[in-house]
Amino acid sequence: MTGSSSGVEKTIWDHLFTALVAAIYIFLMFPIVLVVLLSFNSGEFLAFPLEGFSLRWFEALFSNKRFLDATLYSIQIAATSTIVNGVIGTLAAIYVARHATVFRDYIRLVMTAPLLVPEILTAIALLFYFYEIRIGTDYSIGIQIGHIVVTFPYVFLNVSSALFNFDRSQEEAARSLGAGGWMTFRRVTLPAIKPGIITGCLFAFVISFDIFNISLLLKSIGKNTLPLELFDYLRFNFDPTAAAIASLSIFMTFAAILIIDRTVGLRSLRF
Amino acid sequence: MTALTIDRINKRYGNLHILKDISIPIAQGEFVSLLGPSGCGKTTTLRCIAGFERPDSGRILFGVRDVTHALPEQRDIGMVFQSYALFPHMTVAENLSFGLEVRKVSVADRQRRIAEVLAMVRLEGYDKRYPRELSGGQQQRVALARALVIEPSVLLLDEPLANLDATLRDEMRFFIRDLQQRVGITSIYVTHDQAEAMVMSDKIVVMSAGTISQFGSPREIYERPVSQSVAGFIGRSNTISGKIAEALGQDSYKVETPCGSIGTTGPAGLAKGAEVKIMIRPENIRTLRHDAGISRQQRAGEAGHGDNALTGAVVNSIYQGSANQLAVKLGSGDRIVVDVGGRNPLDVGEQVTLRFAARDTWLLAS
Repeated sequence: MTGSSSGVEKTIWDHLFTALVAAIYIFLMFPIVLVVLLSFNSGEFLAFPLEGFSLRWFEALFSNKRFLDATLYSIQIAATSTIVNGVIGTLAAIYVARHATVFRDYIRLVMTAPLLVPEILTAIALLFYFYEIRIGTDYSIGIQIGHIVVTFPYVFLNVSSALFNFDRSQEEAARSLGAGGWMTFRRVTLPAIKPGIITGCLFAFVISFDIFNISLLLKSIGKNTLPLELFDYLRFNFDPTAAAIASLSIFMTFAAILIIDRTVGLRSLRF
Repeated sequence: MTALTIDRINKRYGNLHILKDISIPIAQGEFVSLLGPSGCGKTTTLRCIAGFERPDSGRILFGVRDVTHALPEQRDIGMVFQSYALFPHMTVAENLSFGLEVRKVSVADRQRRIAEVLAMVRLEGYDKRYPRELSGGQQQRVALARALVIEPSVLLLDEPLANLDATLRDEMRFFIRDLQQRVGITSIYVTHDQAEAMVMSDKIVVMSAGTISQFGSPREIYERPVSQSVAGFIGRSNTISGKIAEALGQDSYKVETPCGSIGTTGPAGLAKGAEVKIMIRPENIRTLRHDAGISRQQRAGEAGHGDNALTGAVVNSIYQGSANQLAVKLGSGDRIVVDVGGRNPLDVGEQVTLRFAARDTWLLAS
């Protein structure tokens, strides 16, 4: 009897817990839904009630040269960060997993430091450094390096965990079958860690596309990334174009998640 | 002909001396097991042969070719791993094809050889499956097929059955041995399971703490172990301490023990007065009720065929169904374990006579 009554109690708590989690998610997701709704609103203001469905703010966004340039600039920087990190993040993960011996833990810590140090501190440090070596913020190279540094750990960590879960005797099997080092890497190791690389790269892209502080401090004169352009715009305007930009960012993030799910499966995500 | 020569190899990791002057000659087509507890150096020896480890000194020869400094991919080996190490993103056929592609075998030849080897390991029709779709035993057979399809000069097996359940393990022992004999490939098998080594091998290398304790056929190692540790590692054994009283022949001795004088067999050249241990396997001892024993002992004494008789009391009886055991405490205090077969008419506390032939004993240096 006591068993069944405690069983009922447990289900009540289960329902309460589910409700709590749902409430938290609704609270977190609500603004995102609002922004997306507002971006399709035909009204003049970034406010409720909604007046009707329209793509006019997206049209406004894409016909605005500043936004268009900023979007392309953001994509260019994010793509470069992704490609560079796809290579050096993977190589670094392989080095730490395979060859680092005495200082392995310290190297790992340094590699993930950009995640641990507040972004603004990284930005300030890089800013001082670039002025010190006389690059300053005259070129895109500064902001590009900043983005690479901040998104590096996502590739490094995902590839590291893929390597950690990889049974190295597969490589030895390939060697015993007569394959040299490069062929073993290309046909055995790389396919095994590919999910980690893809996941890490998509994260690097999305994060690079969205980050603000690094861009704000390191941007070169007259060139804005999309988040910066949005910030500038919102200081003087309050129309749904801003919502359209935000929606664009959200769509890109969802697209990334969709790509991860379709190519490597969401279960392979690890942090 | 010597297919594989391991010549005084040494390996150190920092202060640890993992392999100490290991030498093993292996004949063409032989199945040799490296047997020992974990940490004895058996796996390191195998990895030196494969080329994944490089010995600090010594040589490894495949036939007459010195491969000590050759990379694994240059050695022409087939290797089977404990974890199977199949490529998970490749089908069974692609796994088998890998080594052939590396060797630039033509497509037609590849297909023919893959089909042949799959038939050999009884996995016809599984070529399109992925490793994760196969059972553990099937995966192990694919691993074996992948190692054999390249027709290597040596097959190396690193505890390939350790991850299988007991029934399957027994089946795979005979499967691997049978396959090895049909292909006639020189094989080196690492295991810590003495029963596995006994049933599969032509020769066994018993290793401990980086040295070879004994190298010989399963029969030699079981019946003529060189030390108490080998005797204890391979099968069950009893030992009684004593001193050599007299050499009766080249390999037979009379040994004086606290339970009396015992006729024994031992290695040639043991000096009178030397401290020895007499090893007797439990299955070689006959147990008789005390009264019955005396008359037979007398008869045996008259016949003079060197039988020994010791008396003691049953202190423990272990029921295992088909093969039961008794622990008998001798007058000297030694405990002797004996096999008594399926029926056991003796009870704890009964006085018994243990009888065993001199030829079934073996002397171990103390």
